[in-house]
Amino acid sequence: MTRRLALTPYLFLAPSLLVIITFVVFPIIAVVYYSFTDYNIVNPPVWVGLENYARLFKDEVFWQALTHSFIYLLVTPTLIILGIVLAIVVNRKLPGINMFRALYYIPVISGSIAVSIAWRLLLDTNGLLNSLLLSIGVVKEGVQWLAEPSLTLGIAMLLTTWMGLGYYMMIFLAGLQNIPEELYDAALIDGCNAFQKHLNVTIPGLRPQITFVAVISSLAAIEVFTEVFILTGGIGGILNSGVTMVFYLWKQAFKLQHYGMASAIAMVLLVITLIFSIFNIRFLERGTEAT
Amino acid sequence: MKKLSLLLLVLLVLAIAVGCAPAAPTTTGSTEEAATQPPPVVETVVVTQEVVVTPTAGPSEEAVIEGVEEGAEISFWTFWLSPTFDDYIKGTIARFEATYPGVKVNWEDHQATYLDDYRNAIAAGQQPDVANLSNGEGWVTEFATQGVLMPLDDKVSQEVKDMYFPGLWKVSNVDGVNYQFPWYAAVATELINTQLYTGTPSTDANGNVTYTGGAGLKVEDFPKTVDGLPGLCKTIKDKTGTLCDIRLTVNDLPAQMIYEGGVQFINEDGTAFTFNSPEGAAWLQMYVGMVKDGTVDKTALLTDQDRVALDLFTSGKAPFFQTGPQLIREVRANNPGLYGYLAVVPAPVGASGATPPTAMGISVAADTKFPNASLALAQFFTNPRSQLEFAKVVSIYPSTPASFDDPFFSAKPVAIEDSAKPIAKDIISKQTELKPTIPHFKDVNEILLAAVQDALFNNVPAQQALDDAVAKANELLP
Repeated sequence: MTRRLALTPYLFLAPSLLVIITFVVFPIIAVVYYSFTDYNIVNPPVWVGLENYARLFKDEVFWQALTHSFIYLLVTPTLIILGIVLAIVVNRKLPGINMFRALYYIPVISGSIAVSIAWRLLLDTNGLLNSLLLSIGVVKEGVQWLAEPSLTLGIAMLLTTWMGLGYYMMIFLAGLQNIPEELYDAALIDGCNAFQKHLNVTIPGLRPQITFVAVISSLAAIEVFTEVFILTGGIGGILNSGVTMVFYLWKQAFKLQHYGMASAIAMVLLVITLIFSIFNIRFLERGTEAT
Repeated sequence: MKKLSLLLLVLLVLAIAVGCAPAAPTTTGSTEEAATQPPPVVETVVVTQEVVVTPTAGPSEEAVIEGVEEGAEISFWTFWLSPTFDDYIKGTIARFEATYPGVKVNWEDHQATYLDDYRNAIAAGQQPDVANLSNGEGWVTEFATQGVLMPLDDKVSQEVKDMYFPGLWKVSNVDGVNYQFPWYAAVATELINTQLYTGTPSTDANGNVTYTGGAGLKVEDFPKTVDGLPGLCKTIKDKTGTLCDIRLTVNDLPAQMIYEGGVQFINEDGTAFTFNSPEGAAWLQMYVGMVKDGTVDKTALLTDQDRVALDLFTSGKAPFFQTGPQLIREVRANNPGLYGYLAVVPAPVGASGATPPTAMGISVAADTKFPNASLALAQFFTNPRSQLEFAKVVSIYPSTPASFDDPFFSAKPVAIEDSAKPIAKDIISKQTELKPTIPHFKDVNEILLAAVQDALFNNVPAQQALDDAVAKANELLP
């Protein structure tokens, strides 16, 4: 009887554990192994020790990709600030406000590939933006926005921000509606102006949401791929100007068939993501305790 | 009352009795009808007759592969042909199965993820027996180098080899060995948007035709050689403000260097790269000049997706675009307004004076369980009849000279898609493979791409960029 009781929870857990082992644990172990091999997927992997890591750390493009990925993290504070501002704006009982909330949310449900293609068409040499600029005389000939190395990463970050803003706005909006109105009344009685009211009531009240958004948006930023792939026509931008970690991983694996090298990049990415996650979770716990 | 009830009851019983009685034989039928009545069966006689049934179809001219395995079931992958060509593919498979009875074909069409699917299938031990692989994209070379394709030279007779253009049979050779049956080919042409290139025609009262809104150029004067493109693009930019839609083939820059620049890419014994020669530097400098002049669309120039450049042309914003006539259907479907203003001229040739083979190929897995059945299918799909039938469905050109004997190819072109038909055989027969086997091809191409970008956008002199690239590429050699 005792033996049966001891087995029961494990039997219930078994299906989930099997799925996790098959689709999470085993692939991670496989990637660790492949990162020490020369592997092109068609032929069996050949053990090369630390060669992939040595090549990776000497590879200029890898460092460029790493730098770009960290620069990409700037979308996180941007999303937090704009998300809160937008949530405050739409957190009013005005006629038709739900329509505005829905409009801001449309990019979130549109699909990153569709949105990226739309942006590519918008920024094309013969696209809408150039047509507008030409018609009002700001430029004399169409600017090749997506072929300017200095602009590639910025445009991709702008696209990520635009796509994610509606989602994060909804999270902040839900948070705002949980802040008691009495706190705002007390702030007004204490003489706070509108800005001080939000600084002293809204921001502390939204701390759990801010932490949550910081965690997920920074992880998404580190792993950005689609926007870069579509906007740069699959080459990562002229002079690798838009190459990020995941794009470089994809390129090594699926364009150059260096699966061993790609696995080494995945391991570096895993370590970075892990550090981020631990940092964010600690921060989240502290934030929760504080509230 | 009682009598009436009794009478009604008797009538009812009589009516039921009459209704249920069997019908009486008619007495008014003709004598002929009576004569056709079958005689009563007295005895059943079973007649047994021996019939000789041939187990296989009669000999077919298309059955050229011997020893096809009885009961073979083979898998066949095509690249992006479904659903448009389902009828053709299914019909050809049915004809194949009739030609080689007992063989069953399982067809799958894979599209955007074809190459990844194929690699994954190999890794999973599920490589299709027969697969459509692109020569132009280097797929045959890639998989042949990895030893997963069947070498064909000693597997088929000389008679079979002679069905194909010699230049196409040899394409994608790895160390002198062929690994594919050449399938449909394309002919490189320039599609011209005459609205931009020439202008929109208008006729005055005297019948004089004038052109407005274009560069005022004549279609027949389109450059015959690649080195005429920079001047042409400058003229078009100056007169119309439009940029040229020219592509560097970023996935195979060595081929472009070799054909356009007449460059010897690697030395004869394969021990050192030589693409930093004066010819190489001149080729790169030509593109540097166009970028500096601002006459080319840089997004299209360096994309690895054909569609980016094709879409630019299809949108009507580019004066010309190099492609095969088969893609005119894209223009017709997506911009019918432009279709009426299209002109087609042969693509300019480079310093090599040759044009590269552009045929698709069909290859057989090296370790297929049914080698002869797989060879038979690959050969069958690429035989003259199958390719002719395919050409009648879409503007492709067969890799088999015999297909061109059909009046379909000699008929005067009606639609612009057909404009290359009468000259296609001549063009394809001259397509020549000049690209040697390049060790570490993808890595070398990546090094070259970085050098090209440095020269185009980073102000590195073309010669220096290529010198650096050659030094890096040589490090990959043993």
